[in-house]
Amino acid sequence: MKKIVKSICTQCHCECGVLVHVEDGVVKKIEGDPEFPQNEGTMCPKGLAFVQLLYHPDRLKYPMKRVGEKGEGKWERISWEEALDLMAAKFTEYREKYGPQSIAFGFCDGDRDEVGPWMAWLIAVGSPYIFGTDAHYCLRPAFVADSLTFGQSHTWEVGPDYDNSNCILIWGANPVESHPCSTARRILKARARGAKLIVVDPRFTPLASKADVWLQPRPATDAAVALGMLNVIINEKLYDEDFVKNWCTGFEELKERVQQYPPSKVAEISWVPEEDLVKAARLYAKNKPCAFHTRMGLLMNTNNLQTVRAVDLLSAVTGNVDIKGSNILPYPSPPRSRSYVDFFRLHKESIPLELFETRPGYKEWPLIYGYDSPWNDAHPPSAIEAIARGQVKAMIWVNDPVMGLQNSKKIQESLKKLEFMVGIDFFLSPTANLADIVLPSATWLERDMIHDLHYFYLPPKGKRDYHESFVSIGEKVIEPLYECWEERKMAAELIKRMGLKSPIPIDSSDAYNNWRLEPLGITVDELKKKRIVSIPIKYKKYEEIGFQTPSFNVELCSNVLKEQGFDPLPYYEEPPESPYSTPELAKEYPFILISGGRHICFYHGALRQLPWLRELNPEPKVEINPETAEELGIRNGDWVWIETPRRKGERVKLKAELTETVHPKVIHAYSHWWFPERKDDPDRGCFESNINIITYDDPPYDKHSGTPLIRGCLCKIGKVEA
Amino acid sequence: MVKYALMFHPDRCVGCPTCVVACKQENEIPVGPSWLRITKRVYKVDGKLKMSFNLLRCMHCGRPPCIEACPVNAITKRSDGIVLINKELCTGCKACIEACPFKAPQYNPEKDVVEMCTLCVHRIEKGLLPSCVQHCPAGALYFGDVNAVTAALQENKWPTEV
Repeated sequence: MKKIVKSICTQCHCECGVLVHVEDGVVKKIEGDPEFPQNEGTMCPKGLAFVQLLYHPDRLKYPMKRVGEKGEGKWERISWEEALDLMAAKFTEYREKYGPQSIAFGFCDGDRDEVGPWMAWLIAVGSPYIFGTDAHYCLRPAFVADSLTFGQSHTWEVGPDYDNSNCILIWGANPVESHPCSTARRILKARARGAKLIVVDPRFTPLASKADVWLQPRPATDAAVALGMLNVIINEKLYDEDFVKNWCTGFEELKERVQQYPPSKVAEISWVPEEDLVKAARLYAKNKPCAFHTRMGLLMNTNNLQTVRAVDLLSAVTGNVDIKGSNILPYPSPPRSRSYVDFFRLHKESIPLELFETRPGYKEWPLIYGYDSPWNDAHPPSAIEAIARGQVKAMIWVNDPVMGLQNSKKIQESLKKLEFMVGIDFFLSPTANLADIVLPSATWLERDMIHDLHYFYLPPKGKRDYHESFVSIGEKVIEPLYECWEERKMAAELIKRMGLKSPIPIDSSDAYNNWRLEPLGITVDELKKKRIVSIPIKYKKYEEIGFQTPSFNVELCSNVLKEQGFDPLPYYEEPPESPYSTPELAKEYPFILISGGRHICFYHGALRQLPWLRELNPEPKVEINPETAEELGIRNGDWVWIETPRRKGERVKLKAELTETVHPKVIHAYSHWWFPERKDDPDRGCFESNINIITYDDPPYDKHSGTPLIRGCLCKIGKVEA
Repeated sequence: MVKYALMFHPDRCVGCPTCVVACKQENEIPVGPSWLRITKRVYKVDGKLKMSFNLLRCMHCGRPPCIEACPVNAITKRSDGIVLINKELCTGCKACIEACPFKAPQYNPEKDVVEMCTLCVHRIEKGLLPSCVQHCPAGALYFGDVNAVTAALQENKWPTEV
């Protein structure tokens, strides 16, 4: 029997509507759904090849128990009964013996809404520890920086209203690879109808090649570039005088601050030619409305919060806030589905304060990890320390922090010290390999899932002129294969066996999803029929309620930062390691390393098993300027080693791709490389080409957010001799 | 009489291999052969970096050299312009690959035949777009009657507006 099921691809955060073709219970094909507004029928290679993951011969098929040493890779198949009983006994034992703070849940970026049931487990156990591994360099610092300025965040995927924009600024982000269908598609569509495009990126990416102006800053000098653009906009009076007068505080202070950043000086700091900087500033200020978007390129350094603030202020002084075609503030909005924010709130309310305060990073960086932060994560490097010194003894890990976090060898050593670890994944990843129990997870094709899609979009055919986001459901297409379970069921069964009670209904998929939908007054069955519940969003909400900052204004000069003893205005700070701050070190390590460029075919460490995707990217690559390569005797396709000062002696090996898209002084290594096909090696080659072996998790940290210098450290390279 | 065309807009393409994988899934092509291939070129004009992409695929030529080259007459051009290889007749001799300036026909070792872009004839007969065209997130591929597609390109329309 043939049928087509409408679902939502959850392989990345684009969340594209798909049509899944099923024949006699077997998924044959996944294609884009032309009626789904998020992607309008388009797809990316990840979703198009997903059938190869679903039926991959190496997929985890049943629970397994470690029989050899930790990490040795010897496993024995066990039943779910045995796995759950063992887990319940162990976690109960640690809870009673050492208290709930000896237990934690950790996850790498993946299905964010699947975290809900695990939060329920944490609450039931009474543990304060959720370890989101990207807490210090993905969304959180940017979210906080935006909120300090505007009261809410509107720069990540949620905010930019590309469809109505006249000018688009993409800074330290590469949506073509990381958000192709929801974001890049709309940017490219806007460009096709004539919107200007400015791209700031140390790499000449395909998107940069389409830009009207491309700025190529020295890595980690973005704050200087933004302050230089502000200097031009303010001194040339290109800012929005009415908006600044009526809705901004601290303009005079900002005006004074930017005098320290004349374009000529910024050019020296950032290597961005003065005339390009001025051109970008004028283009941005004179083409209102502008939408802008930033991402991890701005966040993986030791001055990330002030860097995002500096870029934010470009939109503030030009009045590109909450107006059509700019960046739209997400709240207040009509009720939405219960999502991760609600899970975090529930967790925060359930855990006694004195326990909550023991979260690693809570006291040191309260803006991100403190009580008032919207997130409950711990500071990841400190959390790994807590595991290493035995403070946390038993954990559940979802996904793959050994590949995803900086300083991979330390991550592996630390996780090995856990007395009891459960690993959950689709494959036996380098992290799952360190576990005592491995559990096979169901994919998005094998479970119902509520999606709260924040992205703004123009409804198909352009019938309405307001923007909206929406809630939808990714429907289960087939029953879970083999003995795979959805994580909700794992959490529910574990809670039951520990004799505890879940704070939210998770006993069945429908119960959980109905609870999530409750604020909307709709049930799962109704949503399946409607598919989409639209949530209209209004412009200029600040005219009614102001901005959600202490002054109810856009705070160019931040009151919160001032109160906490920080500089209330953005500034540039030379990275702790650079040709200028450590010139002696730079003689031995003459290049600047940026790592972590994404490829559209992979999602972080995932998907290297899929033949159609791996065929297009068979090997780890490092991009080197031909001029540099010639000096070092490196030819295209040579294996090259890379070393960083603080990981002296550790050398990772990648294949040289000579390209002028990187500056002669900058080396760019693609991230997250391991070799799942090497089945004889329990580590699957994860300590060979994985750039995170030599990236930093150590201090100095950003004083607001605790972020180490992840991109922009020094390095040396050389040809691997045969 | 409708004449189909698949046109590529190089200024729109961002070089992501979506079309390649879309084609592989739709036409069940194994690892190895590929009916679509993207090439990237980085170069300088007056000291400024440029990047351009091209898409190598069957052009469904007006006078296809592959048809002349095929010793068993397995390749035909339909009246709507689509050039098709008859897999029943194909012996896998690869003469068509030699003859094609784009090397568009691809040898499939699993089936021991040569295959190439069919313009997803099985989809267009159902009123659907070829898989590569539908899935391209960059709006770089256009499909339709050659006159309509040419007009859409001239007017700088998005492919869904053809």
